[in-house]
Amino acid sequence: MQELVLVQPGRTVGDELAQRAAQADTRREFEERLAECGPLAYRVARGVLRNTADAEDVAQEALLRAYRKFDRLRDRNRFRAWLVRIAFRLALDRLRSGKRRELRDTLWSQPQRQPPAATAENLAASTEFQVHLESALAELPEKLRLVLLLAAMEGHTIDEIAATLGISAGTVKSRIFYARKQLAEKLRCHANIIKTR
Amino acid sequence: MPCQHYKDALIEAAASGAQPQGYLRAHLNVCLDCRAAFEQEQSLFSSIDAGLHLTANPDVPPSLLPRVRARLDEAAATRRGWMPQWFALASAALMVVAFLAARAVWRTNVVQKPIETARKTSVPPPENHNPVVVRPVEKNPVSQRQFAIDKNPLAPETLISGKTMPEVLVPRDQEILLAEYAAQWRLHARAPLLAQDSDATILSPLQVAPIQIAELDVKLLADQKSQ
Repeated sequence: MQELVLVQPGRTVGDELAQRAAQADTRREFEERLAECGPLAYRVARGVLRNTADAEDVAQEALLRAYRKFDRLRDRNRFRAWLVRIAFRLALDRLRSGKRRELRDTLWSQPQRQPPAATAENLAASTEFQVHLESALAELPEKLRLVLLLAAMEGHTIDEIAATLGISAGTVKSRIFYARKQLAEKLRCHANIIKTR
Repeated sequence: MPCQHYKDALIEAAASGAQPQGYLRAHLNVCLDCRAAFEQEQSLFSSIDAGLHLTANPDVPPSLLPRVRARLDEAAATRRGWMPQWFALASAALMVVAFLAARAVWRTNVVQKPIETARKTSVPPPENHNPVVVRPVEKNPVSQRQFAIDKNPLAPETLISGKTMPEVLVPRDQEILLAEYAAQWRLHARAPLLAQDSDATILSPLQVAPIQIAELDVKLLADQKSQ
């Protein structure tokens, strides 16, 4: 089917073509980053929201926003950090809105949504501990939570996290330490679960 | 139960992931309870790390990137069609504003014109007449009423009222007519008075005397010179 082209009366064909070319360049450049950064946005959102469907929605929205404002990003090397912040903010907003809280709880209680366990014996303990862990993670301050999530993601070094968030490596280490300590305090009461593993 | 003195040090060591050093290491070598507690803490942090790894590295749904690409296409199409829509909206808004402004100006003119017309028609030129001031009662109704009756014995009572009325300059031979008009105007509560009384007012046909032009006395210029 032939594509219909809408041309403004006051503009020349040259202007139109130049704009199309610029848009195509932007799209191409964005596509190059999409394959690498799309999963990152999803994982950040998933770490905050604990729900696959919500995380996918938020990741899509974050990527779309990033695309719309891609022209304004002067330093394209900062794209990852920029996208992480957008996805994290959107995920927090979605979490606070609580629109799908009931659905999320329902989905999460289903066994197929749980992380796979090695044996049937460990399944119950692992599942229960994971639920407690994610609840404890959700209660962490935002700064600690984001650093901990990024640190737990594959392929993220301390220096990369520091560069992504624009903080020093020492601050990243300190935040990871305090975040793990706070998690341990919240989960220590479930030590009997751990013992069974 | 671990020794209370070493409890915090145990947790710190387990949280940092490093092997205990110095006095803590020496204590763990001799205290079985503290060693067991330390191992338990290490197990807790290992479980936390494993759980975090699971949480932070879920499988990405295969539908994510295709959906994002589809939405990017939609966004690009919307971008292309955005400017003409913007122009249409701006034009419509401009037309509405122009219409409202014109309407406001028109309404102002409509309100002002009758006032101006009334002023022009109600004050006839004072030529050939000695104007009389018909002064309605304002501050002192009794004296004003007496003044009006004295000056205008034919004027009906209805002309004078206690309400505030404007002063109007009227030709002398029209003061009665004005008084009647004012009375009827009040009685009919500003109803279509003129239309109602138009039949009652009998106007005599205008009589214009024919123009009389005297005959010209023409004299010759030569005769004038000779004289």
